Amino acid sequence: MASEERTKEIINEIRQALINYDEDGVGEWAKKALDEGVDPFIATMEGLADGMIEVGELYNKKEYFVPELLLCSDALYAGLDILRPAIKASGRQSEAKGSIVLGVVEGDVHDIGKNLIKMMFDVSGWTVYDLGKDVPLDKFVEEQLRTDSEIVGLSALMTTSMVAMQDIVKKLKEKNPNVRIMLGGAPITSEIADMYGADGYAESAGTAVDEAIRMIKMLKEEEMERK
Amino acid sequence: MNTELSSRERVLKCFRGEKIDRLPVFSGYGNVTVHGLEKYGWRFAEIHVDAKKMANMAASTHQLFGFECAVVPFDMGVEAEALGAGVNFYAHHTDVVYPTIASKVAEKVMDLDLKIPSDLAKAGRIPLVVEAIRLLKEEIGDRVAIGSWTLGPYTLAGQLVDIGDLAKMTFKKKDMVDKVLDALGEVIVEISRIYREAGADYMTIREMGAGPDILSPRIFKTLIRPHLEKVFAAIESPKILHICGDTNTIVEEMALCGADAISVDQKNDVAESRNKLGPDAFILGNIDPYMVIVKGKPDDVDNAVKEAVANGVNAIWPGCDIFPTAPKENMKALMAAAQKYGKLS
Ligand code: B12
Repeated sequence: MASEERTKEIINEIRQALINYDEDGVGEWAKKALDEGVDPFIATMEGLADGMIEVGELYNKKEYFVPELLLCSDALYAGLDILRPAIKASGRQSEAKGSIVLGVVEGDVHDIGKNLIKMMFDVSGWTVYDLGKDVPLDKFVEEQLRTDSEIVGLSALMTTSMVAMQDIVKKLKEKNPNVRIMLGGAPITSEIADMYGADGYAESAGTAVDEAIRMIKMLKEEEMERK
Repeated sequence: MNTELSSRERVLKCFRGEKIDRLPVFSGYGNVTVHGLEKYGWRFAEIHVDAKKMANMAASTHQLFGFECAVVPFDMGVEAEALGAGVNFYAHHTDVVYPTIASKVAEKVMDLDLKIPSDLAKAGRIPLVVEAIRLLKEEIGDRVAIGSWTLGPYTLAGQLVDIGDLAKMTFKKKDMVDKVLDALGEVIVEISRIYREAGADYMTIREMGAGPDILSPRIFKTLIRPHLEKVFAAIESPKILHICGDTNTIVEEMALCGADAISVDQKNDVAESRNKLGPDAFILGNIDPYMVIVKGKPDDVDNAVKEAVANGVNAIWPGCDIFPTAPKENMKALMAAAQKYGKLS
């Protein structure tokens, strides 16, 4: 077992390497974490996830741009690939936060934003079913039913493709009234999300996961009330 | 004596900095409306693959509203298709769905083996666009300015390979990206030459994938600008550089690329850009093509034009493609506002 101090050091190195988009560095320190007996869950949450939050802040401050984010994303997955199997092996299944079906709606191939959102859910321990871009409406419904995901996240970057979200929301709710739907993409606002009958909205990758957690909490409360 | 300028004269004189009666209302990219589609009974999906339909639709906004140009093509797949990418036209869709790249030439920049056709004039839909330009020239070219456009080198590269991989390679393998952009720059120069020869009066280069919503101003300066400079040095005037998004941090860099004019969208603070670039710079754009021209009321359109003129634009020019669902009243308001605020004494 690593001492408390050493644990802190390792986690800090993971976080720093991630912020500096040093893929190899993240891999090395993640391995060290496992070798020295650091809890892989803590290494993930305090190393990788906290690192990603800082990366998100650098992006919001316009110090980082899309290439930097995507490089951080590669570093992130290098870390997750090592730490995740260890978390599973430790039997910490209950830590899985939830699952989300994610995709860019039909007629729209702008997927840079969606990929950033995917990364935030991945690092937070969610199961992500990524349908990619230009996704036909029915595919969202099918995938939600197949995976029984709590959340469906829809992305649109064009006001023309955005309109289709309304139909998807309706169809999803028809098939499964309990599903929670969140919308995102530059032309979406929380008013539009409301108007389309969605349950949530996030302006950026930084707030998307919190919003999804809020939605699941509300769902659980409603279920409790019904009981 | 009738001294009324034709739209074409007004546009061309405007670019040359000669005296004109009022600011022209035109654009460097798509401006078809559903009203034009209705007039001919066509679907949006058909007009990208038929030269006659493309030409008629490009002319329709002039015919219906007096918009002072006709611009082809309407989609961002033409150049990539000529280089081997596959395009989805959503042939069965009845709504307005823009064509997209369905199959990339390669996933990764590293695996991109660029095969540039020896005769680009015969590649993909380039002959179709050329034919549309010829038809436009023949039918309305004496009165109306004919415009055309291509993507910029970086944005075109993003159509050929995964744009995420491209973005990462700007850091990891800058030399490799540089080489690709060099080759694509030459393609763009050649396509521009072909379009001009067919009769296009002006060319817009759309480098929308390289603006500060995606790349840092530092990368724009070191990686993007040198290629745009080469492209603009080799194509004929009038030539415009368009980048959308929050371009305030790069307008000076944009101005150094060698275009005659820069074009920006609604996110740019034009008054500030005018300040930075001085009175002689040629600045276009800023009118919000969706929130104002499609979603706004005629009053909002009127206001947007008034503001853009007050902030110092050199023509009334939307910030991106006019969205086809723009209501008639708004198109009329756009034209009326030009008369109201665009007068030059
Ligand atoms: C890059 C780009 C392209 C590239 C896309 C490449 C790709 N693989 O993504 C290419 C060149 C292919 C392209 C094509 C077109 N484009 Co384009 N493009 C852009 C551009 C410049 C940047 C978009 C972007 O990636 N931003 C960066 C990312 C990180 O931001 P984001 O997507 O907003 O994501 C963030 C949030 O919105 C949120 N979020 C996103 N998704 C989700 C989902 C959920 C669930 C949640 C919670 C949050 C969330 O989190 C993200 C991270 O913080 C924008 C203009 C601009 N500067 O924004 C135009 C823009 C989107 N394009 C536009 C247009 C018109 C087109 C074309 C129609 C042009 C044409 N004539 O063909 C085609 C359409 C193709 C199609 N059918 O899809 C217009 C749309 C206008 C409108 N209002 O509808 C824009 C706004 C340009 C403009 N100024 O008008 N484009």
